[in-house]
Amino acid sequence: MSYREYVIAAYAVFAVVMLWDYIAPKLQLRAALRTVRQRAARNANRAPATNTELER
Amino acid sequence: MSPLIRWFHQLGSPPTFDRFAARWTPWAYLLGLLTMGIGLYGALFQVPADYQQGDSFRIFYIHVPSAWMSMGIFGLMAVYAAIALIWRIKLCEILAMACAPSGAAFTLITLATGSIWGKPMWGTWWDWDPRLTTQLILLFLYLGVMGLYAAIDDRRNAARAAGLLAIVGVALLPVIRWSVVWWNSLHQGQTIRLLGESQMDTSMIQPLWWMVIGTHLWFVGSLLARARADNLHREAGKDWVGKLAGHASVEQAR
Repeated sequence: MSYREYVIAAYAVFAVVMLWDYIAPKLQLRAALRTVRQRAARNANRAPATNTELER
Repeated sequence: MSPLIRWFHQLGSPPTFDRFAARWTPWAYLLGLLTMGIGLYGALFQVPADYQQGDSFRIFYIHVPSAWMSMGIFGLMAVYAAIALIWRIKLCEILAMACAPSGAAFTLITLATGSIWGKPMWGTWWDWDPRLTTQLILLFLYLGVMGLYAAIDDRRNAARAAGLLAIVGVALLPVIRWSVVWWNSLHQGQTIRLLGESQMDTSMIQPLWWMVIGTHLWFVGSLLARARADNLHREAGKDWVGKLAGHASVEQAR
């Protein structure tokens, strides 16, 4: 194959960028779900403390 | 109301869109990967080498579909942004902003593969040629849209500001398209014509169409995945997202 290194380099760029395009939204989705879980855990911890305060 | 219009209205609801995106994203990726696999096999192993450019012309099969995607996605982003601005449909804001990273990725591929192809054929990695320069401006516009969207805390205001940039930026698309006609350019003229005869032998064209279909399907997967993540981020305080996150954590624990 002529110009082999150029062809390999171009296809490698394509593969790497497509891989990033696949992974990046997955990481965003994971981060969004983690945020929701952290918020839920925070709210669950906070709720009894507020009630106690009101009872005093 | 017709069932199709009702379905579109329902799709605008965040939980419905989430279910839709979760269901179809893997299929779009998978079909895109398979179709691109067929195209890449044809491009690398089936079509003959070009009589002038040798095997370096095989870069064409990733360069051209990426270039078309880079412009098409920008146009789509502007359409979504316009709909979001006029009718204030939140899902269209999300979809417009989800277009930008994929569009930037395809623009980057276009520039990088063009540069790699240019070195053996033109003797240089880069030239301030009208086609190359306008394509570089397109990448900056994508980065501008992404940067503006990330810079403003309020998601809706951020999407409106970035969407406006996308709408204004559409003026660049015809300049890119006809830059090789309007100016004397180092970049070659139009090779493939959707209407009329292409300047390429028919035996070499088939992998291109596989790649074009494959990149479109891949983009659908990427768009749905990004839009789903943004949708969940925006709806983080809602019950349905809480339930979904709980369900997801149970799934991960298993």
